[in-house]
Amino acid sequence: MTIFSASRLAIALAAALVLAGCSGGDTPAEHSSADRAEGHTKSSAGLPAGHIDAGEKLAHVKGKATGQACVDCHGADGNAPIDPTYPKLGGQYYDYLAHSLEMYRDGDREHALMSQQAKDLTDQQIADLAAYFGSRPTHLRDLHGLP
Amino acid sequence: MTRPFPIAACLALATLSFAVLAQTEATTPPATEPAPAAAAEATPAMPTGSAERGRQLTYTCQGCHGVTGYKNAYPNYHVPRIGGQSAQYLTNALTEYRKGARKHPTMQAQAQSFSEQDIADIAAYLSEMKQ
Repeated sequence: MTIFSASRLAIALAAALVLAGCSGGDTPAEHSSADRAEGHTKSSAGLPAGHIDAGEKLAHVKGKATGQACVDCHGADGNAPIDPTYPKLGGQYYDYLAHSLEMYRDGDREHALMSQQAKDLTDQQIADLAAYFGSRPTHLRDLHGLP
Repeated sequence: MTRPFPIAACLALATLSFAVLAQTEATTPPATEPAPAAAAEATPAMPTGSAERGRQLTYTCQGCHGVTGYKNAYPNYHVPRIGGQSAQYLTNALTEYRKGARKHPTMQAQAQSFSEQDIADIAAYLSEMKQ
């Protein structure tokens, strides 16, 4: 009995080591079925339509918790961040911006300022801000057609 | 008394023992050198990025970030434009994905496959990208 238990332990240990050795290899670039099944619980698809004008106003209003407006940190049009760790927002996909704000609001992404800034936003405000910054000129690009 | 699966257990043990031996040999560092991972962890500063090396590393990124208008599924949103963001922002993003502080299964898996040097190289390449 003890011999059998010892063998089982050895097998388990060996298997764990082998598995550890196998991890960290290739990962698929596309989204896997597991990714779709368990990756996200929030959906930006459920947001109302955003209004650029309302978003522009809101982007210049100081947040209660931080005392900062969006453009105070991300710069005019979201294109001139005051700190190199802050992203450019201008011309970013509106639905990615909305998703990011939802993640901050709902505590799924954390940042000392952004979590505070986003926590009281309504769905409509998120949609408006995303529409505004998404409509600005951009300094960003995707990786399509690179040399 | 009959013991269950004696042959199978022996075979499995034998096979796995070889695997364990191979694993041990492969991962045991030479005694004279310090462990590089520990040294890297102890240094707070990120390594200097090489844009040229970053260019080679971003081949996989193009599967999603290189398709204009490509959408993430559930929830549906466009995969962000990342070319032209600052090196610091990109480094933070990849590091947070690697630690699991930022959540996205594909990005977490990708980031976990990168070393700190890889992340610095990728950030250097993407941040220098012009329109």
